[in-house]
Amino acid sequence: MSFAPRPSVQPWARVNKSRKSQIFLASVLPLTLSALIVFFTGLDQNLALVGVFLPLQLVAASLVGFLAFGRRGVGDSFLIVLVVFLSTFVLVLLVSVIVSLVSQGAKAFSWTFLSQNNIYVANTTSLDFGGVGHAVIGTLMIVGLTTIVTVPLGLAMAVYLTQSQSKTKGLVRTLTQAISGLPSVVAGLFIMSLALTLGWERSGLLGSMALLPLMLPTVARVAEEALRLVPVDLRYAALALGAPNYRAFFQVILPAAKSGLVTAILLGVARIIGETAPLLLTVPINNGTSWNIFSGNMMTLPAYIYGYLASVFEPSQNRAWGAALVLMILVALLFGATRLLSRSKSLKSKPTKQKASK
Amino acid sequence: MGKLQGMSEASVTNSAPVRRKLSAGPLSIGDKWFFRTASIAANFSFVLVLLILIFLLIQALPAITSQGLPFIYGTEWNNSKDPIVMQIGPMIWGSVLIGALGVVFATPLAISLAYLIVFMLPSRSAKAATTLVDLLAALPSVILGLWGLFVFTPVAAQWSSLLNSYVGWFPLFQVSTADNGFLGSPFIAGWIVAIMIVPIITSITREVFSQLDRDLINGALALGGSRLSVFRRVIFPTSSGAVVGGVLLGLGRALGETVAIFYVLQLSFDFNWAQILEPKGGAVASMILSKFGEASEEEVSGLIAAGLVLFILTLGINFLASVIVNRAQPWRKI
Repeated sequence: MSFAPRPSVQPWARVNKSRKSQIFLASVLPLTLSALIVFFTGLDQNLALVGVFLPLQLVAASLVGFLAFGRRGVGDSFLIVLVVFLSTFVLVLLVSVIVSLVSQGAKAFSWTFLSQNNIYVANTTSLDFGGVGHAVIGTLMIVGLTTIVTVPLGLAMAVYLTQSQSKTKGLVRTLTQAISGLPSVVAGLFIMSLALTLGWERSGLLGSMALLPLMLPTVARVAEEALRLVPVDLRYAALALGAPNYRAFFQVILPAAKSGLVTAILLGVARIIGETAPLLLTVPINNGTSWNIFSGNMMTLPAYIYGYLASVFEPSQNRAWGAALVLMILVALLFGATRLLSRSKSLKSKPTKQKASK
Repeated sequence: MGKLQGMSEASVTNSAPVRRKLSAGPLSIGDKWFFRTASIAANFSFVLVLLILIFLLIQALPAITSQGLPFIYGTEWNNSKDPIVMQIGPMIWGSVLIGALGVVFATPLAISLAYLIVFMLPSRSAKAATTLVDLLAALPSVILGLWGLFVFTPVAAQWSSLLNSYVGWFPLFQVSTADNGFLGSPFIAGWIVAIMIVPIITSITREVFSQLDRDLINGALALGGSRLSVFRRVIFPTSSGAVVGGVLLGLGRALGETVAIFYVLQLSFDFNWAQILEPKGGAVASMILSKFGEASEEEVSGLIAAGLVLFILTLGINFLASVIVNRAQPWRKI
């Protein structure tokens, strides 16, 4: 802070002192006013939010904008208030999901819940007995098998989309994108009709197969983006040194894109780990632990949640919330890993956007 | 890296030079296999779509032949009749209605999120906001169903009753009776679906916004435009194509959503054209899930036929959306 006399008009300054207080008033007054109205008249909160607070905030912000910049300030404030309001709404929904998951799931969450299976559990059994251990094992096995098959396939598709000069690339990309919108229940029905036609029994293996078409597009698309971030000069340099394409890929491009490709795998796993409908159709549920993915019943976390969700008994509802928390923790772990990877990548080298070349 | 062919043919025989043919191909055996593997994997996407179509068709054929065309538009599903009657008209309409509601709710939210991330937030908090949106996309649908049933439904029922009491004269918001507490309506299912497709629309809109020509926007601002007028006259017209594509992708996802709306929607085989607060609606995917558990052999065939209808519907919408999105993002083509 300097005590030198400041010129009263600073057109280049973004906000001066009186404007600061105007902005402060404009952001506090509408909220307090609508809170008071709700408090004293007993108006419904939802209604007050849309019917009182939003118009008041729009008017107040537009007024400040008008005082600051004239007519164009009105448009500025109008858009800003609207955008912030709608975005906050989405944020509130997300926070609500996470908060209710954690607060409700914590009731059931314990080591017993994580490690035991559900053999001797009825609808009203207290939470001291039984848990999701068998479902976690089933989910990890089924998702793991899908991952083992899908990842090479997805990577090869990404290689095709980035490294080859084929003419059908655009069509393949569009089709892959279209498959990414495949309804999960249709994936389950597809494997069921396959099984009915060929006379196969329902098992964990079928569940894995049903998850494949759901995971493949995610892996292929994210891997393609990762490979595309590798500067094309690297590849040309390798080729110019006499390396064949496959060695240029495995020894130059693959190491450079490693973290992006791992991200592709993790995002693919995160995409399918919570899929419910295909597993409900293809995998018979089980209350005990099963290590055999190729035959017999098997439990998965989503099927576990689904089974307990609609129950009217309190312990069962708590089980559903607890299992949902476990599932969400798995998703969050995968998600956090991708963030860490992308951060370490951006620290090492800034990814350079490839110029579009004909 | 390519080999040139036809050099010798191009030697002068006439005064007009013959057009040379240039072609590039893999040079070594390793390369040949490298590219062959890649193209086999790429062609797997065609094979997958074909396989899905073929096997669904094989199993759906009995139902299609026995039910005929009314399968698509009829309003009855009765497994105690002989012969069995299976018709999914209200379910298809219900899926479309819920998808449309989801898109209507989600699009303004998604566009304002994208605007906030690209044009308003400093880069660090923009990254955080992007992460949050991605986290929203990563929420499994069964978790959203759980949350929707226990947490969101009471709130949305409150919104419904407010809508009904203040704008109830509008046909969209009329209900036959308010006794059922506004539960299980397409309105609630539409909101659940909207939460699922907000991230899809946001990510595509965000990408288009960030690729817009900044000079164009700054120029418009320098000419005296406000944020609002620049958005309406510059940003929106140049990016609307991709936004439409993103909305269509979201619609495709909304039509196929199964578990999340299974719990919050009251399924009914009675057409609910547009009374979105009425506790009866339809959704093909949820109907399949609800009936599959105790379905007879004939019914399984009918359900697979319903899945086939859903598949063709969503594949068409998604294909159109992908084409639009790819057209609107020329910088992605290499």
